[in-house]
Parts: sequence; C-alpha cells; structure tokens
Amino acid sequence: MKPKSQRLIILFFFLTLLGLSTFLVLKSLEDNIVYFYSPTDINKKILSNEIDLSKRIRIGGLVKENSILKEGKKISFKIHDGIDEILVIYNGILPDLFREEQGIVALGKIENKNFSAIEILAKHDENYMPKEVSDMLKKNGKWKGKLN
Amino acid sequence: MEGEIELIYEIGHISIIIASFLSLLSTGVFAFHFFREYYFFSTLIKNFSKIGFFFVLISFLILEYAFINSEFSLDLVVNNSHTTKPLIYKISGLWGNHEGSILLWILILSFFTYLIAKSKSIKSSQFHITVLGIQNIILFLFCIFLLFTSNPFSRNIDPPLEGFGLNPLLQDPGLAFHPPMLYIGYVGLSVSFSFAIAILLNKKVEFDWFNYLKPWTLLTWAFLTSGIALGSWWAYYELGWGGWWFWDPVENASLMPWLISTALIHSITVTQKNNQFYNWTILLAIFGFSFSLLGTFIVRSGLLTSVHAFASDPTRGVFILIILALSTLIPLLIYGFKNTHRIDTKYFIFSKETGLLLNNIFLITSTITILIGTLYPLILETITGSKISVGAAYYNATFSPIMIPFIIIMAFAPFLGWTKTPKKSLLRNMLIIFTLAFVSSFIIFKFNTTSVFGIICGYLSILLFFSVGFTFFKKLQNLKTLPLNYYGMLVAHLGLAIFLFGVTGEQFFKKESSSQIKINEVIAIGDYSVKLENVKNFKIDNYLSETGLFKITKAENFVGKIKSEQRFYPVEKTKTTEAGIFNFILSDIYITMGEGNLKEGWVVKAYFNPLVKCLWFGAFIMAIGGILSLLSKANRRYI
Repeated sequence: MKPKSQRLIILFFFLTLLGLSTFLVLKSLEDNIVYFYSPTDINKKILSNEIDLSKRIRIGGLVKENSILKEGKKISFKIHDGIDEILVIYNGILPDLFREEQGIVALGKIENKNFSAIEILAKHDENYMPKEVSDMLKKNGKWKGKLN
Repeated sequence: MEGEIELIYEIGHISIIIASFLSLLSTGVFAFHFFREYYFFSTLIKNFSKIGFFFVLISFLILEYAFINSEFSLDLVVNNSHTTKPLIYKISGLWGNHEGSILLWILILSFFTYLIAKSKSIKSSQFHITVLGIQNIILFLFCIFLLFTSNPFSRNIDPPLEGFGLNPLLQDPGLAFHPPMLYIGYVGLSVSFSFAIAILLNKKVEFDWFNYLKPWTLLTWAFLTSGIALGSWWAYYELGWGGWWFWDPVENASLMPWLISTALIHSITVTQKNNQFYNWTILLAIFGFSFSLLGTFIVRSGLLTSVHAFASDPTRGVFILIILALSTLIPLLIYGFKNTHRIDTKYFIFSKETGLLLNNIFLITSTITILIGTLYPLILETITGSKISVGAAYYNATFSPIMIPFIIIMAFAPFLGWTKTPKKSLLRNMLIIFTLAFVSSFIIFKFNTTSVFGIICGYLSILLFFSVGFTFFKKLQNLKTLPLNYYGMLVAHLGLAIFLFGVTGEQFFKKESSSQIKINEVIAIGDYSVKLENVKNFKIDNYLSETGLFKITKAENFVGKIKSEQRFYPVEKTKTTEAGIFNFILSDIYITMGEGNLKEGWVVKAYFNPLVKCLWFGAFIMAIGGILSLLSKANRRYI
C-alpha cells in the first residue's frame, strides 16, 4: 500500500472512532445528567407539574431541626433552604456527617410530592457544606458561614 | 525562647523567597543564553537549581517542625492540627491542607530540578540549560503562587492553646501517603514537559533526546498508579460506601493525567524505536502537564462539587488557571511555529506501531470523554445557570465501551512485530489465546450474571492473562537475554489483567444487603450469614468509639469475627465509619454499622465483594512493572 492511502485509512478509522465516541458522549450526557433543585424550586415545579417524575434529580438544603423521624430502616426528615421545605424519605444508613442544620444533597425522585431518596450525601469537607447548598443559601440570603 | 521560635518561621518564609529569586535568576540565564552563549551559563543554572532546592527543603522542614511541635503561632497549624493527634498525622497534617500541599508540590518540583541539574547523562549543555530553564519557570510560578495566595507561614498574633484538628477522615495511614505519591506523579509530568519543550526549541530534532523523556514518564506513571490506587483503597475502607471509584471530579482529575502518561509511555517507545510519532510524543508531554495542572485546578478551586475534602478559594483557582493557560498555550504556539520537521518513514499496517497508535487513540479518546463529563456541569452552569451533575452512568456508557477494543488490542500487541508481522503466526497465536480465554473464563466465572458488560469484562481479563502468559512462554528460551524493560512491560500488563479480574468480581458479582438488626440477630449475605454479637463503647486517643462485634458463618460453620465501628471525634465534632472488613485471600465481607440502640437495633449494611483485592493488587503490580522498566539498562542510562 502507498503511504498516502495508509494515512487515509488511519484517518478514516480515527474519524469513525471520534464520531462514535461523540455519539456515545452526547447520548449518555442526555440520559445521565442529573439536575439539582432547591426545596423552593422543586415545590414550584411540582405545583406547576413541570417535573418529570421518572427522572432522577438531586435536591439539597439544610436538615430541619426536630424533623428527623426513624422507623426501623426508614428515615424521614425535612430539608429547607430558608424559604421553603420538602420531606425526604430514605431507606438506609445516613452518612457520618448527617445532623440537624447540616447541608446535605439527596439523589432520588419525587413521589407523592415528597422526595424519595436513594442516596444521601453529606460532604466530608472542612466546611461540611456542599457547594450547591451554600450557593443556594447565599442566593436566599440565609448564608451564615464565612463569606468568600 | 519565644523570640527564637518566632525567628525560625521568618527563616522558613525567607527561604521560599530566596528559592523563588534563584528560580527567577535561572530563568534569566535561560532567556539570556538564546542571545549569547557563555560556557559558564550551564554551571550557573545548575548551581542555582541545586541551591534553590536546599532553600525549599529548609522551609519545608521548618513547617514540618511547627506541625510536629504543635506551634500554634502559625495559622496553618492552628487550623489543621491538634496536640492530641498521633505523630504520623501531625506530620501528614502538613499536606492535609492547601498551603502545605502546595509547599510539598514545590519541594518535589525543586527536588526533581535538583536531580536534573545533577544528571551526568545529559551531554548537550544547550539542552541541559533549556530543560532546567523551563523547570525553573514552573518553579518560579508556583513559588509566587504560594507566597501571594497561600503563604503557609502566615502568623497568628494571638496563639490559641489548642488547634482545630485535622478532618478525622484524613487521619488515616492510607491518606497520609496518598497525596505525596500523587504529587510526585503530577510533578513528574512537569519534567516530561520540560524535556519535550527543550526538544521542540532546538533547531533540529535530536532523536536521542527522546530517551530522556522515558525514565521520568515511567517514574511519574508508577507513582500516579500507586497514588490513585492508594486513594481508591482509602475511599473503600474509610468512606463506608462499599465502593472504590465514584467518578468524582477529583478522582477524574487524577485519572486523566494517568491516561495521558500511559499514552505517552507507549508513544515514546515508538519514537525511540524508529523515530516515528515524535510530534505526537511532544504534544502528549505538553498535555500531560496541562492535565496535571487541570487536576490541581479542579481540586483547589472548588468550582466543581466533589465528595472529597478540600478547602477552596476562587482566587487560587484563577491563579492556577493562569499557570494552566500559560503552560498550554505558549508551548502550543511554539509547537505550531517551530514544528516543521517531517520525516517520511515506511509504515506498515500489521505492525507494533499500529498497535501502539491504536493504544494512543483509545487512551486519548477515553481521556476526552472523562474531560467532557468532568467539565460539562461547570460549562452548563456558566451558560444556563442550571446545576447538574454527571454521574457514574455517564462514564459507564462512554469510558467502558472504549476500553473494550483497547484491551483486545492490548492482548494482540505483544504478537505484533516492529514494522512487519508474519500474518500467519499472528492469526495462529491470536486464535489460540482467544479460544483458551473463552473456555477458561466460562470455567472461572460461570457467568451467572445478566450483565453483558460483566461477561465481556471477565473475558477480557482472562484474555489479557493468556496474552501475557503466552508472550512469556514464547520467550522462555531466551529469558536471560530479555531486557528488564521488556519484563517491566509484561508485569505492567499482567497488573492490568489482575485489575480487570477484580473489576469483574467487584462490579458484576457483588452481593449486598442491609437491615436493622438487634443483638444476636442475623443478616444474610450471599452464602454467608453475619450475626451481631455485641456492641461496645470505648474512649480511645482522640475519639469515642461504638464498636459492633460480628460473627460470620457459612452454612453453620464458623468463618470469622470482625468489628465495625462508628467513631466520634469531639474536637472536630465529626463522626466517621470504620467499616469492618473480613479478608478472604481475594474477596471481602464488608460491614458498616449505622446509628442505633439496644431497643431498636442498629442499621447494618453488609457486602460480599468478590475479588475486590485484585483491584489494588493489580494496580500495585502495574506500578512495579513501571519501576522495573525504569531500572532497565536502556532507561537508567538517561537518568
């Protein structure tokens, strides 16, 4: 084979691969993006029926004081963003940093206007506050931590 | 006495300032040598680099002294240490925070610069000056970064009696050594970068110079491999989530440079062998360092949400972003303008070159998919304001499919010859190992899984085992004449086979169950049953512990006892989970215990993780392969 046609073959192969991976990337970005909402946002969306109940979303906020209820493995608690709140139901072990007025992020779906979580994350960072939650609190003027 | 201690920190601070001046002077020498060439330039820049390292070392040791003695007149020590902390965590407390970790970065960088300055293998003084010049520019930028945005010696005018402590999750032997290892890897990429730029800046391509890239890239790669493995192992036993890789931005930040340096090693090999791919090798070396800076940026800027622990500060992010932009754009400009060399060499489709070309294409494609997944949330938030996250599902759908052909080619590659391969023997060899792998993977895994990926992954790991074994078998007659770097290659590939074996077990044959159990109740997991025997409370060193004692049985036969712990650290007001792990040779039973009490019981989560140890063991073997290759005669000559 001539070097030129060889180079063409390699180029063709590379472009096919690139196309294929672009397709995979776009397809899975579309399917696997998880949107984040604050309790205020999500309640608005529920009221106006804008939410796709089959899709996983994340919500975040501070765990409301005196709202944690445990019945065996089933745990329920409310999270708030200083304006509105939503009930979260979860089956499983809570993360180590879970406590009242602690910023958490929950992954799950909306069920009967409550949030049914499959995963609860409390960030193990030096400030113990997920970024989404601190941004949200700053926006609502409820941020009590250090100001950057 | 008080005054003396105060003075020592001034010395620490001034040492860094002197080091940054020395690196600036070196940069000046480097710049000047383009106009005039004096024979003493090379001696000058070498000595500046060597002396600079000692000043950085002094500064580092002084800070370490402050941490060990809990000197609370330094802000950094107050914020990150505590008198009750065990000694090892006082030492590692230095790099458990931003300022200290940047100082560690600078220490490693200047140590590498020192080693290059000392190197006797570099014959061309022009080349030596250029490499040291570029190393010193990077060093200077980082010193400035440290002094202006993250001074570790900033003083606390009113020293408290006690510090705030270190995040308990970081008080762990695995994590004490994880950052230094990863940093050696990250910083090592700067050396490959400097060598590549020096090759680029020269008037004509000196192919011999590519040899200098190899040992440093191997060193980088071996340390990145073990650093990442150590981090993943820590996440596995310390976070209590039962997983070992979460596709978190911070993890991706370390995986991307790893993939690039893997590609770089393979690309240099081709350049060394027959002068091909040299443009590509240079580009990879440039991007390798960009990715290591991008990693630092992602970790330090706090722009991306990560589950891992780091203090963040946007101004620091901006500074690193500037270094990142400079060190990517300027080299690319030089590359664009200077690089007009083109040598036409014969190229054959059925050759090792093609194998290694494909290796690079797949590695780079997979790096790009990870890059997109990591940065996409950031880009979307900037443009539309909506907050999103890209989860593991994205990477499973993009990264994993790319890895399938990658591994198949990896299994092929040892049978390909340089430039030409007899097709008949290639086909015969491949047929043998494909069939052998097919039969044995069915025997080993029995494939009672519904996951197609599980079947493929298991098959690929066995295929790779056979490929390595068969290559070894074919070379049996002349084992003694084989160079050490060939063994290194085989060992590293074997490591990946072991790793994939672990992935198959852990991802596709894992069992998990959780329930709330009281004392003497049982939770079943696979063939095993786990009984909660007792729960005890202790007070140890700097934490309180609630320990559950569990007994594991299999069909009424006693297997073992393990304990799982919840720790409370009063100083930091934090809880951590110490998972109970029962070790079989390759598999684990993994138990975490949540909150609870005698009346209602405790929420217990149990996993059976088959072959999970192969993950870290495999990575460790890979790193050993890298080191073996580094120690080979061919590479040692160029250190």
